[in-house]
Amino acid sequence: MIEYRDVSVSAGGRKILTDVTLAIATGEKAVIAGPTGAGKSALLLTLLGAYELSGGAIGFDGSPVTASRLAAVRRSVAYIGQEPVLGDGTVREAMLLPFRFAANRAATPDERHLEEVLSHLHLEPAILDRRTSVVSGGEKQRIAIARALVLGKEVFLADEITSALDTAGAEVVMDLFRRGSYTVIAVSHDPVWHQRFGTRISMEAGRILEVRR
Amino acid sequence: MSAIRISIPDLLLVYALLLVPLTITAVYRLGLLKSTVVAVVRMTIQLALVGLYLGFIFERNSLILNLVWLLVMLLVANSAILRSAGLTRWPIFPMTLLGIAVATLSVLAVFVLGAVAPDPLYDARYLIPLGGMLLGNCMRGNIIALERFYSGIAENEREFLSYVFMGATTTEATRGFMRNALRAALAPTVSTMTTMGIVSLPGMMTGQILGGSDPTTAITYQLAIMVAIFTSVSLGTWLNLRLSMRWAFTDRGTLRPDLRRPSHA
Repeated sequence: MIEYRDVSVSAGGRKILTDVTLAIATGEKAVIAGPTGAGKSALLLTLLGAYELSGGAIGFDGSPVTASRLAAVRRSVAYIGQEPVLGDGTVREAMLLPFRFAANRAATPDERHLEEVLSHLHLEPAILDRRTSVVSGGEKQRIAIARALVLGKEVFLADEITSALDTAGAEVVMDLFRRGSYTVIAVSHDPVWHQRFGTRISMEAGRILEVRR
Repeated sequence: MSAIRISIPDLLLVYALLLVPLTITAVYRLGLLKSTVVAVVRMTIQLALVGLYLGFIFERNSLILNLVWLLVMLLVANSAILRSAGLTRWPIFPMTLLGIAVATLSVLAVFVLGAVAPDPLYDARYLIPLGGMLLGNCMRGNIIALERFYSGIAENEREFLSYVFMGATTTEATRGFMRNALRAALAPTVSTMTTMGIVSLPGMMTGQILGGSDPTTAITYQLAIMVAIFTSVSLGTWLNLRLSMRWAFTDRGTLRPDLRRPSHA
């Protein structure tokens, strides 16, 4: 359960979120639309602690998200942006990158696990040996999603990932997101996502205009 | 034997050479004419005053006076580091002051008290110029390292935040930026050491030879000062990156918005 209560955020002297109140249940699939500068990305990034709240509070799984609780939030929430950071090595190195951090080291996956997760995203095991510089934009996003799955994430914040995905790739990702218990908040203008996701949110100028379920 | 004196008229003769760069500056309208004149005047006045002051310090040769002068040098260098690296002054000032103080004074102690061992041990003739050389290099290294480190993180915020979001501690998320900053700070000294003696005779050695020292003494001093400089630059930049990091990030793990001065952000 993710709960924004009267959340306001300022950055660079500008108000980017104003009195946002929104509750997303566990397993809910929500898609956000709105013009550039509406605060869509800010809404996602605020959950992960990218900005300081100037007002209001955010709750996650029943308790308020404070600086000390952020580590727990970051353990279950994945942010997938338009251009995921995969480094300049191989795809395998990109997949294993977060496991160099002490917090994840104990959970370092074996080869079989990596291949299994990649297959959920219709990626061949051979891609592990390719360099990230030669994989397509859509593949990069699927790799980033696979990496988040290997990290055991349950909440996906997908920030305009459809622009890089081709139709087939988008289908694969959407099927995965719509499955089971994953909570998904996606920023997208793709009408297909708006048809298939149960919750549709529209934003403008840092405010939520409408939530339709 | 000591160097032949340059009288004031002789010095004016050398200053006449400045007509060459000033002409180039003026003809091509480099916009540097005023700042060049200011720089030359400032350099002249500063060095004249320091000459008087050093004469005084060398003559008195008091422990307290020497330490006070070292402290003044540290304070000025530290201000220059934060200004040039584009970082807000407070509360980083005491942290980076501690960093450069530890880095220069510890190496200076090994050099002066251990290797040279003059009598008295705090002899201004050794302590002040050697301390100045270490501090000057340490200052340049720190400016490069701090600027590179924090602007690197700010310009690659997406990359930095993605590490933080994947569970990295600040130390883990900044490791690559730290590597780049340290490399940039140390590279000039490494290349200076590589070409030393072939491309140019270093300033300190030239000075000692002009002052009448035999080349062997001049060379051993030069070797010792290069190693001392390299050590104090490495130690100082690393310490200051680590110390400034204690304040530079929020408790959410992001870069503090008020860390960098607006003109640099």
